[in-house]
Amino acid sequence: MRYLTALLALLVSTSGFAVDTQRPQFTFTAIPDQNEAELVRRFGQVADYLSEQLKVDVEYIPVKSYPAAITAFRNNQVQLAWFGGLSGVQARRAVPGSEAIAQGYEDQFFKSYFIAHKSTGIEAGDGLPQAVAGRTFTFGSKGSTSGRLMPEFYIREAFGEAPEEVFSRVGFSGDHSRTVALVQSGAFEVGAVNYAVWEKAVANGDVDADQVSVIWTTPEYADYQWTVRGDIDQQFGAGFKEKLTRALLAIDDKAILDSFPRSRFVSADNDVYRAIEQTAQAIGLLDDF
Amino acid sequence: MSALLELKDCRLTYPSNARNEADKLALAIDHLTIREGDRIALLGKSGAGKSTLLRHIRHQLADRASWCPQDASLVPQLKVFHNIYSGALDRHSGFVNLTNLLLPSSHFEAEITALAEPLGISELLWTKADELSGGQQQRVAIARALYQQKPILLADEPVSALDKLQGREILELLVSRHDTSVIAMHNAQLALTVCNRVIGLKDQKLFLDCPVDQLSADSIGQLYQ
Amino acid sequence: MHFFKHFLQQRRSLRRLTFYFAAIALVCLAFADIVISTRSPGHELWLMAKGLVTPRIEDSHQWLDAVIYTLTFSLQGVILAAGLGFVLSIFYHLAWVRVLGACLRSVHEVFWALIFIQIFGISTLAGVLAILLPFGGTIAKVYGEQLEESDPSPARALLPGGGTSISHFFYTRLPLAFHAMRNYTAYRMECAIRSSVVLGFIGLPTLGFHLETALRTGDYSSASALLLTLLALVYSLRFWFKAKWLWILVPAAFIARPLSAQWSAANLGQFLWDCVPGPIRQDWPLEKTLRWLLWLGEQIASGVWNTALLAQIVLVLTGIFALLGSTLNSSHFVAGMARSTGDGFLLILRSLPEYLLNFIGLIVLGPSMLPAIIAMTLHNGAIIGHLLGGHSDEIEPAAIPSGPLCRFAYYYVPTLYQRFLAYCFYRWEIIIRETAMLGILGIPTLGFYIDSAFEFLRFDVALILIAVSAGMTLSADYISRKLRHQFLKPDLRPAHGSQIQMAPLTFRNP
Repeated sequence: MRYLTALLALLVSTSGFAVDTQRPQFTFTAIPDQNEAELVRRFGQVADYLSEQLKVDVEYIPVKSYPAAITAFRNNQVQLAWFGGLSGVQARRAVPGSEAIAQGYEDQFFKSYFIAHKSTGIEAGDGLPQAVAGRTFTFGSKGSTSGRLMPEFYIREAFGEAPEEVFSRVGFSGDHSRTVALVQSGAFEVGAVNYAVWEKAVANGDVDADQVSVIWTTPEYADYQWTVRGDIDQQFGAGFKEKLTRALLAIDDKAILDSFPRSRFVSADNDVYRAIEQTAQAIGLLDDF
Repeated sequence: MSALLELKDCRLTYPSNARNEADKLALAIDHLTIREGDRIALLGKSGAGKSTLLRHIRHQLADRASWCPQDASLVPQLKVFHNIYSGALDRHSGFVNLTNLLLPSSHFEAEITALAEPLGISELLWTKADELSGGQQQRVAIARALYQQKPILLADEPVSALDKLQGREILELLVSRHDTSVIAMHNAQLALTVCNRVIGLKDQKLFLDCPVDQLSADSIGQLYQ
Repeated sequence: MHFFKHFLQQRRSLRRLTFYFAAIALVCLAFADIVISTRSPGHELWLMAKGLVTPRIEDSHQWLDAVIYTLTFSLQGVILAAGLGFVLSIFYHLAWVRVLGACLRSVHEVFWALIFIQIFGISTLAGVLAILLPFGGTIAKVYGEQLEESDPSPARALLPGGGTSISHFFYTRLPLAFHAMRNYTAYRMECAIRSSVVLGFIGLPTLGFHLETALRTGDYSSASALLLTLLALVYSLRFWFKAKWLWILVPAAFIARPLSAQWSAANLGQFLWDCVPGPIRQDWPLEKTLRWLLWLGEQIASGVWNTALLAQIVLVLTGIFALLGSTLNSSHFVAGMARSTGDGFLLILRSLPEYLLNFIGLIVLGPSMLPAIIAMTLHNGAIIGHLLGGHSDEIEPAAIPSGPLCRFAYYYVPTLYQRFLAYCFYRWEIIIRETAMLGILGIPTLGFYIDSAFEFLRFDVALILIAVSAGMTLSADYISRKLRHQFLKPDLRPAHGSQIQMAPLTFRNP
């Protein structure tokens, strides 16, 4: 009986939903665009920083997929999220009144890399090499801007056809790190990847240059941003959004910035992502037929 | 005496096991009346149609008759007490029944103990039915039939697993607690001591129907030939 | 030639039935997308093997938390499902209850979870409901059949047709089936632990959550530790999942992780509104609606085609693997330690969810239908093999002693074939359901399109596609029931011709 009581006590003590109700809980999430350990490390630091600046409990909730991040945002499970260009557009369409408040400096000029396995013999070029046609190809997540939306846009532009027609096989790796790994292992011959994730992987020595290389860089577009719910001032008091924006823009801790990696954050608004929205509409990813 | 049930041109069939073959005849009765106060012994060789007739009568009488099947048909997982009590399910509300299943009520326990006493099974009330011998099971089935408290008794070989003396006592008890009884038996001797009318079936037909005191030994012999 | 003629003449030949299924599978195989596209699967396999023998728990607090979630989801899910299934099984004679049960179980728990996560967020309620509903449907069917198969004579001893009231049910029917129902519930608990882990792959906080991360990032030591945890949970069930401990286990589960949800009427309203098909919801012009229908139709056609293709291949391969694998758990071929080892092997295979096996297969073999085929064949084959092997104990040893191969071909297979086919037919609907679901991992079965629809918050499309996959499962269920009736046991004709529908006239001689 003693053991059972002890077990029960243990069960209760580690209960996941025992939340502190004294202070308002401010929660945020981020799209899972690369491996989770990295995300948890990065956003754990952000949570600590915001907690200190805003004087509220700030928690980061990891999610498994892009739509899970959007759903959490829509259901007010999180009030703030680090979205990609496309997921941000989707989220703001789902929650009227929500706003993009900050983006990384580099996010103003974001780009995707097309990468290919060495065995394909495809050389880097000024345009998307025609030789990719007929190869196997992987995007990142289905809802990713840099791993799906923009690459698909440029594939359609270059070939005048849907990716399924251009390539012999089209896959969705799920995230950028996985795209790099799959192309490197030869499971897919060509892939499209977020340039920042690629360069970080190269810097970390995770990329074997003998196996995989960049064959084309897309033109620049706006990508990641912090998006906040419209009703946040009602939830956390007037001026909270203002305070939050200032705190995000003021991040100068090198450890935090490097983990993204961004050199600093700059202000943003919904109009910055108009082009992304139009592109998504053009290739039928938003409700438009 | 008023007629309880009248069967006319009754033909009972059962489907053949072989495909595309006509249904087989189980029993054909031109005319048969059962009157209140009858204590009928239903006799005949096995396969003559006794069980079929009994079941048909049971179906016709619906819930006016209590039923004591040949193979006891107890619920092996339940205690004897609950098996007997199940005879009274329709007399009580669902709530009372379910409560009694979990927490047996002393009121019902007293009733059932009194009922079980003359049957010699009052010691077994808290034994599970699958731990009983054949004879004990049969007596539990009899107790269950008695506990149904219906005016008519239909019983199929109710005492086949009991010894002669005990069988007779219990048969008398059964008959005395019901206004009307129809009992299928293979033991003609025993049947004749407690019943007042004999119905004999042979080859799926009614062969014999008369009061016990008018019965000749000869006709019994022919029935079993 | 003579054989061929004979073959065509037989109407209810199991041989012919088998031939048709095998032929369909072969045709499907010709259309299936099967390649090994990784250049060096050996390297990845080597890393996996190394990880398997060096299990490591990275963060014990996180691990414990995941174990507790896994157990509470499955325990709460199964207990509630048993309750739901029990209530439904009481009314299983009603056609609409059977239809309701079939619909509940025709949707895979992963799809239920995707829906409930939308409504209730990542929460215990979403996870428990995702297990509760499909399991409730399955349990209702099995409980219902167990009750139907129980001896009707005690019930008929009280009322000619057997009473239908609740009192009669509890006194004369439930006690007879109770033992079998309890055993089945214990087996469902094992399935629930597996499902609970799989739900982690789509974001609920069970072992699967960390397992997915570990596998995706190639951290095979962590993956190995989590896998061994899963196996230990499944294996240890027999020691602690006991009726007499439920009074403490169930409250503990509900206290440790109380049912909770991030729920609001506004969210639910929004979700329900989003489930209304786009053309109606947004009042699209006809032309746009047609484009939408065409787009949807393409997805349905492709999804249904690939699902059916894959499922038929898997069904036949499962059968082959099950027949061969069952010898590992059969007293006709192995005994003592060898048999325990053999059955242990089957137990491990069946304890690993097909979703997980497929995930590992994708890493090793690259994207194609091949990993899914292997995963489902191993998982389902091991389940049937285990059952079939156990069942073979009931048949007499072969009269004429012969070598194992002859014994297998001339005695074992022919004797068990009816039973084997029955198991395969039962499993068919489950294979279809799983095939549809595995699309989430990238093969273009229905799950792929369902996942895409959720990805772009097109809940209307997702729901339509889920309904299509449910329809496929229901059709398989229907066809398999027809085939079972036609081929496996002579159907019992109702007692027509007699004026009365009384108890079947089985003549028992005294």
